[in-house]
This record gives sequence, C-alpha cells and structure tokens, in this order.
Amino acid sequence: MRRAKNVLFVATTAGCAVLSCGVLLAIVGAVLSRGFHAVSWGFLTEQIRLVGADGGIFYNLIGTLILITTALVVCTPFALGIGLLCGVYWRRSRWRRGLVFLLYLLNGVPSILLGLLGLMVFVKYLGWGKSWLAGGIILGAMILPSVAIALIERIDGLPAKYAEAAAGLGLSPGQIIWSVIVPQSLNGLVTGLLLGLARAAGETAPIMFTATIFAGATLPHEIKESPVLSLPYHIFVLAQDSFDPQVAGKLWGTALVLLGMVFILSLAALPVRLRTREEAQHP
Amino acid sequence: MKTPDPLLEARGLTVTVGGRTILRDVDLKAVRHRVVGIIGQSGAGKSTLLKCLNRLIELDPRYTLTGDVRLDGLSIYGAGVDVEALRARVGILFQQPVVFPRSIFQNVLFGVRHHGKVPRRNWPEVAERALEEVTLWNEVKDRLHDSALRLSVGQQQRLCLARTLAVGPEVILMDEPTSALDPRSVAAIEELILRLKATRTVVLVTHNLEQARRVADTLVCLCVRDGAGEIAESGSCADVLTHPRCSETIHFLESEGRSSLQTDSSLKKG
Repeated sequence: MRRAKNVLFVATTAGCAVLSCGVLLAIVGAVLSRGFHAVSWGFLTEQIRLVGADGGIFYNLIGTLILITTALVVCTPFALGIGLLCGVYWRRSRWRRGLVFLLYLLNGVPSILLGLLGLMVFVKYLGWGKSWLAGGIILGAMILPSVAIALIERIDGLPAKYAEAAAGLGLSPGQIIWSVIVPQSLNGLVTGLLLGLARAAGETAPIMFTATIFAGATLPHEIKESPVLSLPYHIFVLAQDSFDPQVAGKLWGTALVLLGMVFILSLAALPVRLRTREEAQHP
Repeated sequence: MKTPDPLLEARGLTVTVGGRTILRDVDLKAVRHRVVGIIGQSGAGKSTLLKCLNRLIELDPRYTLTGDVRLDGLSIYGAGVDVEALRARVGILFQQPVVFPRSIFQNVLFGVRHHGKVPRRNWPEVAERALEEVTLWNEVKDRLHDSALRLSVGQQQRLCLARTLAVGPEVILMDEPTSALDPRSVAAIEELILRLKATRTVVLVTHNLEQARRVADTLVCLCVRDGAGEIAESGSCADVLTHPRCSETIHFLESEGRSSLQTDSSLKKG
C-alpha cells in the first residue's frame, strides 16, 4: 500500500513537471516555428513600415530595452533599500511585517491599474504626455515587490556566521552590509530582477497609456512627449490584424524576438547564479 | 610574587537573555602573553563569555549584560568606546572556519582593507606575513587568487586565524577552534597557539582537556548552577586538572575522561 502511494505520488509530481514543461515547450515551439521565417537581419534593424505589415521592429526593440532598463534603474535602489530595511534593520521589528504585507499587496495590483495611475500622475498631472520615463517608472513600480521580496528572502537565508565573522574583525555595521550582506544577497537581487524584467518586457497594460505608441516614434530625446515603440504593444496591435498572413508573420517574429530577449536576460544572470551555487556547495 | 596585571579582565559578568540567566557573576583574568583556557560542560556559557570579551554579544540585542570587562584597565563597555577598534584589538576565531566566498588573498585582507590603516601597496606584504605566521604561506602562495572555499577545513581555519592576525589584535579569543579539525590540523593549530603566545594573549575555549593541558597556562572551569554558568574553579592547569577542589569540576573532569588525561600525562613524563 505504501509502495503504491509512493508510486502514485512520484507519478503525480512527474506528471505536473511534464505538463508544465510541455506547456512551455509548446509555446516556445509555436513561437519558434511561426516566427523563425520572419526574423532576419533586416527585421531587427529596419523600422516599421506599412502599419507593421512591412519593415522591421528596430525601434520597438530599442523602445522595449529603454523601458526595461529604466525599470531596472528605478527599481534596483528601492528594492535594495527595502531589502536591507526588512532583512537587516527591521529584522525583528513589527514594521517589517507591515511593509512586506504592502509589497504583496502591490504585487497583486492589476497592471492595468498601475497604467491608469501612471496616466493620472505622469501623463496628466505632471504633463509629461506619453513618455518613456513614465513607462519605465511604472514598470519599475510593478516589478519592485517581486525584486524586494526575493532580496529579503535571500538576506534572511544568509548564515549569521558571515556577519559575525566580519564584526569580529572590527567592521562597522555599514561595512558589514556593503561587503558581506549585499554581495552575498546579489543572487536574490539578480533573480528577482530577472523575473521582474522578463515580466516587464512583456507587459502591455502599464505602458499603453503612459509610454508607447504603435508607430512614428524613434529614439526619445527628452522626457516630455517622448513616447517609444515597444514589442508587446506591437504584438497587441498586430494580433488584432493577424488574419493577414504577412502581418501574422511579423507578429510571430516579434513574439520570437521578445522570447529571445527574455532568454538572454536569463543567460545574463547565469554566472551569478552558478557562483552562488558553488558557494552553497562549500558551506 | 606579585601576579602581573591582566591585559583583559572580566568582573562580575552576568548575561541574561529573555529573562533567563546564561552566565552569573563571572570573573576572568587574561595576563599578557599567556593562554587562558576555559573548560566546562556544554551549556555553561563558554562561547557567550567569549563573545562578551569583545562585545560581539551585542550583535544579538536580546542579550543583556551587567558587570564589566576591562582591556588594559579601561572598560570596554564604557561610553565612547569605539567598538570596531575594540574588536580589531580583541580578535576572535570561531569553532567552524568562516571563510568568505572570495579568494584566499581577499580573505586574509578582509579586515585590513576595511580598517584603511594599511596602504594598498602594502597589502601583499601584510597578507604574506599573516599567512606565514599561520604556516599557510607555502601551501597557498601559488594560488592566492583561488577561492578560499576550495581549501581543506584545517587550512580554512588557519586562513581565518591569518585574517584575524592581519588586523593586529593584542588578544585572540578562540572558541573551540580545533573541534572540527583532523588530528594533524589540531596539532598545527596548537603549535600556532603556543607560538602566538610570544606576541599575543590568547583566551581559548576548549572541550579537549589534553589540549588544555598542552597549551593553556591557566584554566577556568565553568559549571552550571541553578541553570546559569558560573566559575567553578580557576588556577594553573595542574591545580585545576589534577587537584580539583570543586565537586562540579571533579564531576566534569571525570565525565571528560580524567583518567585518560593522567595516563597521557604520565606517558609524557615517562
């Protein structure tokens, strides 16, 4: 009976794993098979023509990179600050519980509401109009909870012996934070940023009111009235016209590029993750 | 003959955590260039006592402390004491080696570079001197930039000692530094302790009575009374180990294999 239960349990877990990997592979396969023929050097380096039916996605790619880089720059210091506050300074404080609760709350806010917030604050109140900076800030706010929570969990998981050893050598609390806690929590920060940016790269709702237009934008030169093109919004608009085979090809090609961008983000984080794994194997 | 003034001295030290007393009214004297051994049963507060001697205990705010610890006659718990400078003067070596996931070179200089007292151009020299002092230089000189995590546990512990020495402490607190090591590494560390005595003062917590006899000049035996650690007995090694007066010490020595100690000692004499 126990053996049968064990087999059932293993089979169920394996089934779940196979199913989730299968769904992922199906999505990747579909995007790859349909978008592969559309992707070419010209597709990546030319700008959009004929309302997306011709030309490439150069400025969409650049616009998405600008948006996620801005989100990264906006989010990292806040995530680091919140992570250190909760993981180090408020470790035993009840304030920490309140702040973590707020982070989870923010994480659960639908992205379209964040887009509306950006519309009210940046586009209307500050009078920026559609701006890459507004989009970047909203995306940064959107990924902040996941990055900060990943960092807090990593700091919580750090063995106290490192801080104790550093203090025993006469390092000040600030030096312990910057030379022991931050470097060893980098994995949590990178993992959180990776997941967050991958999510941000594919988000349409927060940027469609604040930062992006379908065509006619190139590189932004200022903050006000400086929209950018983006990959997800491009896919969103093309998907509504995907009955045209030429447009459909461009749509899947754009999706493949977006997928590739997420994959490259994962690869970029690999050295940090591998280094942490090596450290874990030599406790 | 007058006893020399202690370099490090604990007076009436009582430590509590969450209303529970861990240590009660502990006195301890560490005379310059001597090794003070602290022995005693598990849970008697030996490690806690050690952490009180350089204020490392304050890292956990749940602990409260009364009494005093004096370094060179001045209270280390007094107002205006620079805690970081104090910890550089009173270094500590833990039971398990704690190497940072960095290179051997960076580990040795970890404290030095943050204190900023040694110019960067002198760092290699400081690292070499510290590694030589712990007899690790010849083993690692060709791989200084390799990860310190790849060293054996015994080498890691010597690296930790080198890192502590590089900062230039006057006193070194050692919390069972050989308990995780193989016999060869234990011998190497004991030899080091004996050599360090010439320039530093050592306070050594140990469970190993043979080790205490080999390296300590004086011994303090902690016991548990009414749930708190107290000093049962202190004095020279011979007094405490072979002519204990206190019943708790006798019981502890018996449980830790006093007979084997005597055998060991008679073998040496023979």
